[in-house]
Amino acid sequence: MADVAHLQSLLSRVALGDRKAFRALYDAAAPSLFGVALRILKRRDRAEDVLQDAFVSVWQRAASYSAAASQPMTWLTAIVRNRALDLLRGDTLRATESIHDEETGETNEPPDDRPDPLGLFEQAADALAIRGCLDEIKGPQRQCLALAYYHGLSHSEVAERIASPIGSVKVWIRRGLERLKRCLDRPT
Amino acid sequence: MNYDRADLLDRLAAEYVFGSMTSRARRRFERLRVELPAAESAAREWERRLMPLSQSVPPEAPPPRVWQGIDRRTGGARRAETGWRAWLKPALGFAFGVVATIGLLQVDPGALVPIDDIVQARGTLPQSYVGLLTDAQNNAVLLLSSTRHGRTLSVKRLRPQDVPAGQVLVLWALPRDGAPFAVGSVPAGDKAIIPLADEAEKLFANVPRLGVSLEAGVPRVGAAPSPFLLTGHCVKLW
Repeated sequence: MADVAHLQSLLSRVALGDRKAFRALYDAAAPSLFGVALRILKRRDRAEDVLQDAFVSVWQRAASYSAAASQPMTWLTAIVRNRALDLLRGDTLRATESIHDEETGETNEPPDDRPDPLGLFEQAADALAIRGCLDEIKGPQRQCLALAYYHGLSHSEVAERIASPIGSVKVWIRRGLERLKRCLDRPT
Repeated sequence: MNYDRADLLDRLAAEYVFGSMTSRARRRFERLRVELPAAESAAREWERRLMPLSQSVPPEAPPPRVWQGIDRRTGGARRAETGWRAWLKPALGFAFGVVATIGLLQVDPGALVPIDDIVQARGTLPQSYVGLLTDAQNNAVLLLSSTRHGRTLSVKRLRPQDVPAGQVLVLWALPRDGAPFAVGSVPAGDKAIIPLADEAEKLFANVPRLGVSLEAGVPRVGAAPSPFLLTGHCVKLW
């Protein structure tokens, strides 16, 4: 991943309409962002649409980016995740859709689901050195958090996926987020 | 719901950013983000906090068609720039002058970066919502526009405005049948962008008029506006 100062300088040039900087920003950030969108949407065509929309919006909104308020990858990831979640929750992507998209012939199957959400969650916890802190989040609760964050599943979808009551899922996610907050905000 | 409670806002922000909210709850929180600075800062905090979790997702190179689409949509392929674009701007600028004089609305493409990009890319004005706000002396002060499905409102300030310290200019939508609602605060400067809580179509389809008032802060949901300094029509450009 490109360093923060480099991305900030690219974004400030993009705000001035510098197309070379825009391309450089895309090259630096698009693969990570595409990975994130792909995990949530499971379909390459949808993830490509989200990435494209997100960068068009970045071009238009770069002037409103505030380096003081957030780091570039945080800002960009939020744009991509929000668009992907909106699309996932939108009318255009219902569970009733057929496995094969008639227009593209692509399948709804995830292109590559390894590591699974739980694996991603644990890798992230290791990378952030918070695995110990997260130890009290046990099996199903950990699975809930991983499915919600990496696959963008709502409470009811998580409940269905792990065959647990929605009430429990809500509580697990809420407590899990409180715990995550404590772990992630610890001074390192 | 009492959004004054910091812990409740924090929890909503967490679930919004985390991604476990339903579509309706997401829409509601996006409105709150625009209207309540505390909601916006809670969401930013959670974005900062949770973003590192995304770093374990393996990167994947997008196919070249994605960049090609972005390049096209942002006006990168400017082959015709010295041709039609050279006369399009003054022509539409002229049209703006003429039309504004007779009291209707038209868009000056030079005023609006996003729309300008679309004009460049397509050679036509997109379907948009446009507002021209005037003061009590009927001077045009703010030109607002958003593409029909856009989530940002472009602002062009046509006359300077004095904003007393500690106060903000707030843009209100006045629906045909319903109470006014705050769209967002109007930033300083000749050109600015107001983020919208939803697509322009969702917000403005039944809004014939707009107003701008001075407020002590961004109003809470359901708050009534102070007297309007500026008012104007909100019209569909299609």
